[in-house]
Amino acid sequence: MDHPRELTVEAPRAWDRPVVSVPVLICLSLVGGQLPSFSTAANLYILTTGGGLIWVGLSNRVPRRPAPRRLPSVALWWLVPVTVFGVFEGATFMAAAGDDFPTLSRLADPLLEDSVIRSAAWFAWLSTFWGLVRR
Amino acid sequence: MMRALAIGGFLVSLVLFAVVEWVARREGSRVPSLADVCAFVMRYEVGPVPVGRIGLFGFWWWLGWHFLAR
Repeated sequence: MDHPRELTVEAPRAWDRPVVSVPVLICLSLVGGQLPSFSTAANLYILTTGGGLIWVGLSNRVPRRPAPRRLPSVALWWLVPVTVFGVFEGATFMAAAGDDFPTLSRLADPLLEDSVIRSAAWFAWLSTFWGLVRR
Repeated sequence: MMRALAIGGFLVSLVLFAVVEWVARREGSRVPSLADVCAFVMRYEVGPVPVGRIGLFGFWWWLGWHFLAR
């Protein structure tokens, strides 16, 4: 017997639930946090994880949350932090003054040498990527 | 002095991101969240090509590579 379409609900896949995806992201982050910068392993790992997420995100394998069709004009408030960041990143990059007037990545490099902070950064990057894939 | 200025500038931008996101998440707010802005950007397509989606994924991948692999 056929059921009306509006009464059917697609069951979430097991790997699509937070109880599965969060531990997987934590494991991936812990591995990534052990790989030093400029190493072949780190480059291959980020190519694999990022490439995999891009592949999932461009296919229709994951259900997506609905996106707004229009943005109200108050969305322009987002340009304030973006502009402030862009001005400082642009100025520090153009000045090329090293540690005297550092870019964000130069400031972050010493912090990211610690494996715990590096793993946390990996987790932030991967979980945001996963969130984008589901959008 | 210039180093403090750079650190201060990046911290101010971080705080501003947090403030706008906080405003967006308040009940009845008309300001969209950053996730909604990203979702809107990702809707952009040129013909069958999801340009917005490819662009945002590419940007985010590059950011991770820049900070975590090099």
